[in-house]
Amino acid sequence: MNTLAVKELLYKMADDQLILGHRNSEWTGFGPLLEEDIAFSSMAQDKVGQSQALYQLLHELGEAEPDTVAFTRNADQFHNSQLVELPNGEYDFSLIRHFLFDTAEALRFEMLTQSSFEPLAKLAKKIQGELRYHTMHANIWIKQLGSATEESIGRLQKSLDEAMPYALGLFENSEFESDLISSGVFAGEEELKSKWLEQVEKIIDQTQLTLPDVLTLTPKTGGRAGIHTEHLQPLLDEMSEVFRIDPTAEW
Amino acid sequence: MNKSLDPRVNRLDLPQGELTPKVPLDQFGTFEVFVQLKEGKGYRHEGSVHAPNIDMAFLFAKEQFSRRLMCAGIFVAETRNVFVTGFTEDKDSIYNHISDDFPEDGEIENYEVFHLNKRGKQHEHIGSVPSKNHQHALAQAKGEFIDGPPVFNIWVIKTADILFTEEEDMIMWNTLHEKKFRDASDYKAADKIKAFKERQQ
Repeated sequence: MNTLAVKELLYKMADDQLILGHRNSEWTGFGPLLEEDIAFSSMAQDKVGQSQALYQLLHELGEAEPDTVAFTRNADQFHNSQLVELPNGEYDFSLIRHFLFDTAEALRFEMLTQSSFEPLAKLAKKIQGELRYHTMHANIWIKQLGSATEESIGRLQKSLDEAMPYALGLFENSEFESDLISSGVFAGEEELKSKWLEQVEKIIDQTQLTLPDVLTLTPKTGGRAGIHTEHLQPLLDEMSEVFRIDPTAEW
Repeated sequence: MNKSLDPRVNRLDLPQGELTPKVPLDQFGTFEVFVQLKEGKGYRHEGSVHAPNIDMAFLFAKEQFSRRLMCAGIFVAETRNVFVTGFTEDKDSIYNHISDDFPEDGEIENYEVFHLNKRGKQHEHIGSVPSKNHQHALAQAKGEFIDGPPVFNIWVIKTADILFTEEEDMIMWNTLHEKKFRDASDYKAADKIKAFKERQQ
């Protein structure tokens, strides 16, 4: 097993979840209705929890403590996709991102239940239930608003068109792709992407939305290599504010 | 008609004289939520959620009523599909007031029956009966439960009107026991304040 390859995989997954978890938590108290506010906040909390579990695996492979890794790096040291760092926008964008990201995330962890890296396979099995709810939540909302009114369909369509190139950036290939595949750690971004497209199409087909033709889109890549939009650093500054003032603070 | 001095009244958009249908309130309907705390235990009414349809009611119910403690399953039913008897108290069971007669209309299908065993507590699921209609289900439950401990109120819901957790979705609650951080008690705030005060002295 190539430890560098495994670390790279864990970092990008953990960073995606931490950053999106934080973004989604910005809706807490501002959700479109009370019940949804609580549901979306709970899922944000799940994501941060999942990232912590992944940082813990990294720690066991010799990286720093989860809190240090989460709170002391700058934007160019993060390996998350650009999709997850984009501002929330209005709820339509947040829902579309939730749908596109969580579909990929659930499939990725489903593939990882077969990983030859056992601690990861174990974690993947453990959180399958959480991911089941997250994708159920996303699918029901997209089906509901994707076939409701002219306004809801129009808004979702616009957000889908905007988010799609960024979503394709989730599958940016790693330099270790062939290592991960041959060692059985992870079946690879290309396989994940094709499963993802199939599942996204299956849901979009049940709505009045149109999936942009992915062959005509240029994926927004770079995130895995630390190249980010201007939105990531302000998020990190806010997220790590308490930790930077007092690294020993407990809450 | 005169405009009101209160802008909130003007925003109500009250009808202007002609006979018009009343506009429905701009809010979602309600759904009743039932939770099973542990596999094998009975379902218990936990509360209600607002939602545009039953699928979304299920989504909301999951986080509303099972984000803490324990849960093995949830089901939801639209409030209007819950049929409710009158109330009794003390030793008088509501079954003493239920008629043995029922209308003959309807095909036989399953109905779920819920008992209120203590005033102020939740309704608990006690079983299902194949019946032609809600009244028939109640009459059948009477035969079985009238001699038991007093029941103060009964709910009857047609099984087909309930959205149950799918077998494959039961894993959604697998990690719930690890989420103690969602409980205020996990932060031991009182202990921390006490320790802080002691340090101040």
